[in-house]
Amino acid sequence: MSLIDDFLARWHEYRRPGYYEEFDYHWTMTVDLDRCTGCEACVTACQAENNTPIVGEDAIARGRHMQWMRVERYWEGEYPDVKLRAIPMFCQHCDAAPCETVCPVSATYHNQDGLNAQIYNRCIGTRSCAVYCPYEVRYFNYNNHHWDEPLDQQLNPDVSVREKGVMEKCTFCIQRIRQAKDAAKDDGRRRVQDGEVQPACVQTCPTEALVFGDRKDPDSAVSLMLGNERAYTVLEELNTDPSVVYLKKVDADAA
Amino acid sequence: MQRRHEDIKFADVNNDIVRSLVETGPRYYVTLAIAVLITLACFFFPWFYQLYYGIGAAGMNHPTVWGTYLASFIFWIGLSHSGTLLSCVLHITNSEWRKAMYRSAEAMTLFSLMVAAMMVMVHVGRPWFIHWALPYPNQMELWPNFRSPLMFDVMAITTYLTGSSIFIYMGSIPDFAAVRDRTTGWRHHMYVLLSLGWRGTDTEWHRLGWAYTFLAVLIIPLAVSVHSIVSWDFAMSIVPSLHQTIFAPYFVVGAIYSGTAGIVTVMFVLRKYMNFEHYITKVHFDNLGKLLLALSLIWTYINVVEVFTGWYSNDSAELESLRYKLFGFYAPLYWEMILFCAVAPLLLISKRFRTSFVPMLILSIAINIGMYTERFLIVGTSLSRQYLPDSWGVYVPSLVELSILVGSIAMFCTLFLVFVKIFPSVSIYEVKETLPAPDEGKTQWQATH
Amino acid sequence: MPNIDRRSFLTLVGAGGVGAGAGFMLSESRKHPVEHLVPYPVPPEEFSPGIATWYNSVCSMCSAGCGISVRTREGRAKKIEGNPAHPVSQGRLCALGQSGLQALYNPDRITGPLVRAGRRGELEFDPATWEESLAELANQLELMRTAGRGGGVALLTGGVRGHLASLLELFMSWLGSDQLLHYDFNHPATLYAANERFFGESELPYYDIENSRYVLSFGADFIGHWLSPVHHGLGFGRSRQARDGIRARFVQIEPRMSLTGAAADEWIAANPGTEGILALGIARRIVDQGGYQGADLDAWRAALDGYAAESVAEQTGVAADTVARLADSFAETQPGLAIGGGATGNHSNGVDALVAVNALNHLVGNIGVEGGVIFNPPPAFGPTASRQAGLSRMLELAEDARAGRIEMLIVSNTNPVFNLPEAAGFAEALADIPQIVSLSTFLDETTAQADLVLPSHTYLESWGDDAPSPGVGFRVGAVSQPVVEPLYDTRATGDIVLELAHRMGLDLAFPWPNMEEYLKYSWREVWSSGTPDPAIPDFDTFWTSVVRAGVWGDETRAPGGEFAPDAGVVDGIGVGAPEFAGAEGEFPYALHPYLSNGLHDGRGANLPWMQELPDALTGVVYGSWIELNPVTAEELGLSEGDVVAIESPAGSIEAPVLVYPAIMPGVVAMPIGQGHEQYGRYAHEHGVNPIDVLAAQTEPGTGALAWAATRVRLVPTGGRVDLVKVGGDSRELGREIVQIADAGTPAAAGAPTVASATDAGAAVGIDVPAVGAEAAMANTRLNSIPITVVNT
Ligand code: SF4
Ligand code: SF4
Ligand code: SF4
Repeated sequence: MSLIDDFLARWHEYRRPGYYEEFDYHWTMTVDLDRCTGCEACVTACQAENNTPIVGEDAIARGRHMQWMRVERYWEGEYPDVKLRAIPMFCQHCDAAPCETVCPVSATYHNQDGLNAQIYNRCIGTRSCAVYCPYEVRYFNYNNHHWDEPLDQQLNPDVSVREKGVMEKCTFCIQRIRQAKDAAKDDGRRRVQDGEVQPACVQTCPTEALVFGDRKDPDSAVSLMLGNERAYTVLEELNTDPSVVYLKKVDADAA
Repeated sequence: MQRRHEDIKFADVNNDIVRSLVETGPRYYVTLAIAVLITLACFFFPWFYQLYYGIGAAGMNHPTVWGTYLASFIFWIGLSHSGTLLSCVLHITNSEWRKAMYRSAEAMTLFSLMVAAMMVMVHVGRPWFIHWALPYPNQMELWPNFRSPLMFDVMAITTYLTGSSIFIYMGSIPDFAAVRDRTTGWRHHMYVLLSLGWRGTDTEWHRLGWAYTFLAVLIIPLAVSVHSIVSWDFAMSIVPSLHQTIFAPYFVVGAIYSGTAGIVTVMFVLRKYMNFEHYITKVHFDNLGKLLLALSLIWTYINVVEVFTGWYSNDSAELESLRYKLFGFYAPLYWEMILFCAVAPLLLISKRFRTSFVPMLILSIAINIGMYTERFLIVGTSLSRQYLPDSWGVYVPSLVELSILVGSIAMFCTLFLVFVKIFPSVSIYEVKETLPAPDEGKTQWQATH
Repeated sequence: MPNIDRRSFLTLVGAGGVGAGAGFMLSESRKHPVEHLVPYPVPPEEFSPGIATWYNSVCSMCSAGCGISVRTREGRAKKIEGNPAHPVSQGRLCALGQSGLQALYNPDRITGPLVRAGRRGELEFDPATWEESLAELANQLELMRTAGRGGGVALLTGGVRGHLASLLELFMSWLGSDQLLHYDFNHPATLYAANERFFGESELPYYDIENSRYVLSFGADFIGHWLSPVHHGLGFGRSRQARDGIRARFVQIEPRMSLTGAAADEWIAANPGTEGILALGIARRIVDQGGYQGADLDAWRAALDGYAAESVAEQTGVAADTVARLADSFAETQPGLAIGGGATGNHSNGVDALVAVNALNHLVGNIGVEGGVIFNPPPAFGPTASRQAGLSRMLELAEDARAGRIEMLIVSNTNPVFNLPEAAGFAEALADIPQIVSLSTFLDETTAQADLVLPSHTYLESWGDDAPSPGVGFRVGAVSQPVVEPLYDTRATGDIVLELAHRMGLDLAFPWPNMEEYLKYSWREVWSSGTPDPAIPDFDTFWTSVVRAGVWGDETRAPGGEFAPDAGVVDGIGVGAPEFAGAEGEFPYALHPYLSNGLHDGRGANLPWMQELPDALTGVVYGSWIELNPVTAEELGLSEGDVVAIESPAGSIEAPVLVYPAIMPGVVAMPIGQGHEQYGRYAHEHGVNPIDVLAAQTEPGTGALAWAATRVRLVPTGGRVDLVKVGGDSRELGREIVQIADAGTPAAAGAPTVASATDAGAAVGIDVPAVGAEAAMANTRLNSIPITVVNT
C-alpha cells in the first residue's frame, strides 16, 4: 500500500517534463481575451518574423495554410444577440506535450527553457506530432515554398526556411530568445530581464493582449498575469500543462 | 476428404508442384508483365513525383495530416496477420487442413509486410532520412525516441518481418531440397543454395519440426503485439475517438479478419490459375469460412462497443467524432464498411455458401474492401474532427494517393507472382503428410478418416 | 563585381548605433545589386554583417501615420514594427502596416520609367530614361506655365500630409493651377464637416478611448480601418484591462458587425442610415432625464423635439427601452465617448448624423476632458487647407476633363479608377485628357491608363515627414527616412517634383536639391517653434535626434476648458431619413460595403500576406463574398457558395454568398479591396469590387461619396463556388475554448498592463520594452529629444 502511496505522492515528479530537473527559464505567454479584438496583426507579425510561406489560394483551399498562429472564431447565439469569441491559437508549449512523446526521431523536444522546440533538420515528416497535438498548431510543409523575387529579400536571416516534408510551428520566436540571452551574456549578466525579449506577435499586438515572459521570475509581467483570477488554459482536461495561459473574456452582461 | 484428393500420388505432388515452378506459360508472363507495369505506373511513378513535389501531391491537409497512406499501411499490416499467425496457430493446434494453404498464407504475410514498409516510405515527408528512425550507433550520439509508439512500430514490424521470413524459409527447406533434386540449370543452383544442404535425414526432420514449432509459438505473441502496437500509434494519441483502450484488440481482430479474407482470395486464385484444384479444396474454404464468421462477429462486437463508449462518454469531442463518422461526410463509407464486414459475412452461416468458391471469393474481396474502409475511416474521420472546431477540415484523397493504392496492390501481386515461381507455393512435404503413404494405399487412408 | 562605387549606396550620415542621424545620400539610382549575401561591395561604416540595424520611420500604408521601426540586416529590410517612441503606435502596428515590406519587395513593382507604346489601357509600354522623360515633361510643363495654361495641369494624389503636401502646393501654385486634389476613399470628409459645424473646427479631435469608461460608437470601425486603428487598439486594450476596477464598456451601433462590433460588449443593429437618428433619440432621453443643464437647454429641447423614443424606435428599429437604457448608461458612466464614422458618416445624412454624435459628447460634458473628445492643436506642419476631394469634386474634375480644360493629369499614389464608382464615369473622363502622367510604385488601374509612368519609391525608400491626423491631443511630427537603398530605377515623389521644378527653371522658388534638404530646411521652423533646450544647441543636433527617434512631439495639450456650440448650431441639429439610390421595392437590400481587414480600400490587395490573412470575421482569403443574414439567405434559398448577381441601379457584379450571423436581415455587406484588374499578380483576378455597383450618391453638404447609400437586389445565378477559407466550424459546442468571466468578476482589478506607463501624460514616453539590445540601440525614447513635457 505504501508503495502505491509513495508512487502517487511522487507522481508529479515522475511526470517531470522533458527530463529536466529544473528549467533555466520557463517562458510563458498570457493572452487576455478581454483585450484581444481578433485584428490578426499578430498573425502577420509572425509570418514576417518566421518566414512562414505564402502558400497561394489553391493550397489554402486544400486546407494547407501555414501561418503559425491563427485567430479562431466562434460564434454564439443568433441575430440579434450574436457574439463573436475570437481566440488566438498557437503552440501552447505544453510542459507535458503529447507531440514530443510521439516523434520517433525526437525532432520535437522540450528544451531547457520550457519551450517545445522543433528541429527541422531532424524531422522526417511522419506528421504524427500534428496528430497528437490537440491544439492543431503544427503545420506541415506539403511542398517546397517559393517567394517570388524579390520578396525573398525580406526573409529573416535568423530563421531557417523550411523545406518540403518538414513540420513546423510556433517557436515562441526562439531566435529572439537566443539573441536576448546572448545580449545578456555580453552585458555580463547571467539572466535575461523581464521585457527584454518579446516574440513578434506579442511585440505588435495593438491592444497589448499578449504578455510574454519568464514564469520563474515572480515579478515578471507574465507572472502577475498568471495570478489573475481569469487565468485558464485551453483544453485543460487533457493535462497538457500548456505554457500559454488565457485570461477569460469578460462578458459585462453575463449574470 | 474429396475424392480427387485421395487419388493423388506422392509423386504427383512433386510433379504438380515442380511443374508449377518450372513450366511457365505465356499467361503467367502476361500477368506478370501487367502487374509489373501497373506497379511501375501506379506506384513508382506517382511516388517519384511525390518525392519531387512533396507530400502535397497527396490530399492531406491541416487537420487531417494522415491519409490513405497510413490507412494502407495498417491495411497491409493487417493483411500480413493472416498468414504467419494463422499458420502458427493451426500448426500448433495440429489442424490438418492448414497444410495445403499455409505456404501461400505465409508468403502473403511477408509481402504485405514489405508493401506496408513501402507505405511507410511513401507516407513520411522525408523518406530519404527514414533510417533516422532506426537505432543505429552514430557519432552524433543521436538515438530515436524510444517513448514513441512509432518507434515501437519500427521495432515490432522489423521483428515480425524477420520472424516471418525465417518461419516461411524454414518451412520451405525440405521443399527446396525436393525441387533441387528435380530441376536443372540455374534453378538447380539456386535451390542448392536455398535448401542449405538438406538431405532429409531423420535428425534433420526432427530438428526442423522442433524449430518450426518453436518459432510458431514465438510468432503468435509477436503477431498479436505487432498489431496492438500499430493500434497504439492511434490509441496513445489524445485524439477523440482514437484514444481508446479497445484499439489493440480491435486492430488485432481486424487484422486477422482481413488477413483470413485475404487468404481466401489468394487461395482461390492459386487454385484456379496454378491448377491446385485437388490440393486446395472445399474443406479449406469451409474451414476458413467458419473462421471468418467467428471473426466477423467479434469485429462487429468491438464496433458496437466503440460506438457505445463514444456515445456513453457524453463528451462533446467524442460525440462529435462519432456523429461525424456515422452521419458526416464519410458516412456512406462507414455504412459500406458495416455492410461488407458485419452484415454480408452473416451469409457464412450457410455451409453451401462456405463451400461455393466464387461467392467466397466475392465475399472475401468485399471484406477486405470493408476493412480498408475501416482503416481509412479511423484516420480520416477522427483527424478531421478534433478538439478545436475551428480547425476541423475535410480530407479527400488525391489521384496520386489512389494511384499508389492501386499500385501497392499491383506490387503485392508482382511479389506474389515471383514467389510462386521460386517457392513451392503449396508445401510439398506437408501435403504429402495428408496423403496415404504410397505403399499403403487408400484403405489405410480411409481407415484413419 | 563592384561596378557600383561606395557613394551610390546607402551611406548613413553618422551611425545609427553611434549616435549620429541616419540618412541616405541619394545619388543616381542603380539596378538592384541583390544577388550577394552582403549587398555592398563596400559597406557603410555602421554596418556589420549579422547585426541588425533599426531605422525609425513613418508608416504610409494608411492615413493614420503610425511610427515604425524597421529592422534591416545586410541592407535589406526584414521586419517592420511600431516605433515605441511614437505616440500614435507606441511600438505596435497593424497587419497592413507590417506588410509594407511586401510593397517594398513586391515582384510587380515598376522598375523604371515607362512610355506608353500601344493604345491607352493596353499596357504596352516602352522603357524610358529618367533624363529624357523628365526633360520632356518639364519642357511641357514650362511651356504651359509660360503660356498661362498652367491651370490645365491637374495633380491628383492620395492622402498626402506633411511637407510633401506643402511642396505639391507650392509646385502647383507656381504652375498656376488650383487643380491639386487628394483622393482617398477612406478620407472622413463628413467627419471634418461635422466637426466644423459643431466644434467650429475642421479638424479631427483626439478620441481618448484609453481613459474612457463608456464608448458608444456609431458605425465607426475604429479597431478596423477607421482613422487610427493601432492607437485605438491601444486605447481599447487599456480601457478594458489596465485600470483597477474599471473596465470600459463598448457599445457598437452598426447594421453589420465589424471587428469593433465583435470586440464590443454590445452590438446593436440600427437600420442603415438611421444611426444619427438613434444618437438624437439618446440625446433627447439624456436631456429629458435632466442629464444636461447648460444655458441653452431650451434650444436643445426644441431641437430634439422630434426624437421621442417611440418615433426613434420606429425609424431605427432599435427598441425604445434600448434607446433609454443606452442613454441612461451613457450619461451615467463618465467619462464616456461617442464616436461616429464609417457607414454612419458616409450616408446621405452623414454630416447631420456625425453632428448628432458630437452633440452627445457635448450633452454629457465629454468635450475637452480626459477620456472624452480632446481637441487637437493644428498639425505641426503641412498645409492647413484641405485638398481632399470628395466624389463631387472628382466629378468636377471629370467634367473639366470632358470639357477639355485638363491638358495634363498627374496622378500620384492614388487609384481613382478602382476606388470611384463606375457610375461616376471617371475612367471614361480620363480618355479626354491628352496627357496622363503617373507617379506610382505599381501598375494599378489608373496607372494602366497613363502615357508616362514615372515610378516612385515606396515609403521605405524615401524621405518624408508626417503630422499624424488625428493626432493624440498634442503636436506630433515624425520623419520618415529611407531604410534601404532604392531597389529599382525609381525616384521619390518629392524628388521628382523638385527635379521638374529645377528643370523648369524654378530654382529660386525651389532652392532645395532634394527632398531631404527640403525637409531639413522646413524642419528648422519646427525646431524654433519648440521650447529651447540647452541640450540641443543647434539645428543639426535636433535634426539628427529627430531622425534617430523618428518622431518629435510637444506634449502641450490644449487646455480643456468649457465648450459650447454656437446657438445656431443647436437649432440646426436634426437628422433626416436616409436616402438611398434605388427604390426599396425594386432593390430590397441596403448594400453595406466595408473596408476589408487586410486589403483596406484595395491598396493591400497586391500584398500576399494580406491576401492570405484570413478575414478577421469570416476567415475568407483571396476572394470576395456577400454577407447575408441567415434569415435572408433562407428566404432566398441561398447557402454559402451560391453565386448571386448583386444588381444596383448603377451596375451589377457577381459574388458568392456567405451566411453571416451578425448582420441585419435587410442589409447585405461586401468587403472592399478585391476585384483588381491590374495591380500585380497577387491582386488581379481575385473577387469583385463592390465600389463598382455603388451609385454616384453624395452626402449633399460635403459632396463626399455616400458609399453606404445604395440599394441592391440579389439574383441567384445558379452558380456555385467554394469560398476559400481558413477555419472549420464556428460553433464552440460547449468545449469551453473561449471561457467567459461574468460581470461579477472585478473587471480589471490588478490586471497589469504590458507597458509600464499607461496614464495619458506619460503615453509618449511609454516604456514598451524594446526587442533585444539592437532594438534598444535604434529606438530612442522621445524624451531624449527636445520636447516640452506638459502633463494635462
Ligand atoms: S494582435 Fe492582439 S488583438 Fe489582434 S488578434 Fe492578435 S492578440 Fe488579438
Ligand atoms: S500545443 Fe501542440 S505542438 Fe505545441 S507543445 Fe502542445 S502538443 Fe506540442
Ligand atoms: S494603422 Fe495605418 S499607419 Fe498604422 S500601421 Fe496600420 S497601416 Fe500603418
